[in-house]
Amino acid sequence: MSDEALVVAGVGKRYGDRDVLRDVSFSIRSGEAVGYLGPNGAGKSTTLKIVAGVTRPTGGSVRVRGLDPDRESTRALRRLGALLETPGVPPYLTGADLLEYVARVKGVPATERHRAARRSAEAMAVVEHLDRPFGSLSTGLTRRMLLAATLVGDPDTLLLDEPTLGLDPAARQDLRDVLRGLHRQGLTLLVSTHLLDDVSEVCDRVLFLRDGSLVGDEPVHPGADDGSGTRGRRVRMQFGAPVTAAELAGALGPAFQVTLDGPRAADVRFAGGDDEQRALLAAVVRAGLPMITASTPGSDLARRYLERVGREDAT
Amino acid sequence: MSGELAALGRNARWELTRLRRSRRVWLLLIPVVAGPAGSAIADLYLRVPSAGTAEILGLLITAGLAALVILDLTALAVGEDLALRTHYLTFALPQSRSAALVGRLLVVVGGSLVAFGFGAVAVIALAQLLVGPGTDSVAPLFVPAHLAMGLLGLLLFLGGITAAAAVVTRSAAQALVAGVLAGVAAVGAGSWFLLQRQLTATFPEILGVVGGAGFVWCLIEYARIEA
Repeated sequence: MSDEALVVAGVGKRYGDRDVLRDVSFSIRSGEAVGYLGPNGAGKSTTLKIVAGVTRPTGGSVRVRGLDPDRESTRALRRLGALLETPGVPPYLTGADLLEYVARVKGVPATERHRAARRSAEAMAVVEHLDRPFGSLSTGLTRRMLLAATLVGDPDTLLLDEPTLGLDPAARQDLRDVLRGLHRQGLTLLVSTHLLDDVSEVCDRVLFLRDGSLVGDEPVHPGADDGSGTRGRRVRMQFGAPVTAAELAGALGPAFQVTLDGPRAADVRFAGGDDEQRALLAAVVRAGLPMITASTPGSDLARRYLERVGREDAT
Repeated sequence: MSGELAALGRNARWELTRLRRSRRVWLLLIPVVAGPAGSAIADLYLRVPSAGTAEILGLLITAGLAALVILDLTALAVGEDLALRTHYLTFALPQSRSAALVGRLLVVVGGSLVAFGFGAVAVIALAQLLVGPGTDSVAPLFVPAHLAMGLLGLLLFLGGITAAAAVVTRSAAQALVAGVLAGVAAVGAGSWFLLQRQLTATFPEILGVVGGAGFVWCLIEYARIEA
């Protein structure tokens, strides 16, 4: 079986005489988190709607785990969770109503439905709000409840359209943490956004879309990808006294790739995230190396966005 | 086919949940309770010449109330999700859109028609009880049973027009207005035919067919939204 969760091949979409998407092709491996960046009107939401089987492409094809979401929608969409166009929910309905409805439609057995709904709500930390009507929930809680709905039925791929749009900074950060957690659990994510931080904090790879055409497909943190598809990171260290590459490599072990930049500075690259970074810093301290600062350089995403997409909407 | 039936059943249940949570379910009691009650008051306090005339009066009252109910429930069943963009959530679920909407419409349209039916039966029973056959030889304007069937055609017409309008406007409020205007036009046309002594069974039959066409068009277009 293919390792590709999602394949978009030569997809185009035309509304009237206007091409909204032109020959868009990309694939996403299982477990990858991919950001889909572009200004408003670039065609991001249309792409996601096509992948979710809501909209039919004018040309090209889409496969979700090898299935056509338009012709084999029942099977293809069972494995997909989609949050498109920040939908609203009637204010009188409760989260439990919505989650159980989604469970029923996704074919979760009757004896499992309540548990499946609760499990999804737990993943989004909204269990205590399940019985509250949507009209009484804040924007952030509503968004989390909707995300919980996309998780019902244990999908392996999530399509998220502007998931943090309209949230305050704290709620936005909370949601990014949740998305990182889902990614760590092995879910495949395609996150459409125009917020660069959503991509740099959550995703491994980024696709740039401009005027309906794909103009870039690259790692979010270039140079940090170890080729295994695992998200990589680079940490810049400054030392109070000269150190050698051998001292550093001996302290850190083979999982960390050391490049000296003069006698008092080094770049360390590694596959992984926060846990590996903590292990790295602990190893340096344990070895008694005279480290005075350690920082994670930015991914330079803003500059690359402007180069590929232009000045519109870079936030 | 079994998948479509399952989607229909799941969404009929979903509509029941929505009616219950929004408390709109109580609207279905209006034609059953208020129609016969209003009719009974008229039977007791107006000089209704015969039971047949009382039945006609009561049926018109009950149908008027049922019309308001079918307009409201249909407009919301189709238009509320489109206005709130909830359809972006439900369209990405593994089910047929048309079957899902049929399930929801069956509950609101079927519920409204059944409520009218119960109200009509109660109106006829009360008229027989409170007025009696009467000694007046003036014949009622319609055969009550025929009028009841004709009013069903009118209700179907209102439901179909409202459902179609909800898809076009993507708004329950605007669909409701369209339904009210269609009702005014239908009643106006019916009255004109009556005055011309040309009101036959064909008129409500045409209304019923137009309503049915409205529902079919609504289902076809609903499946095409965003596609």
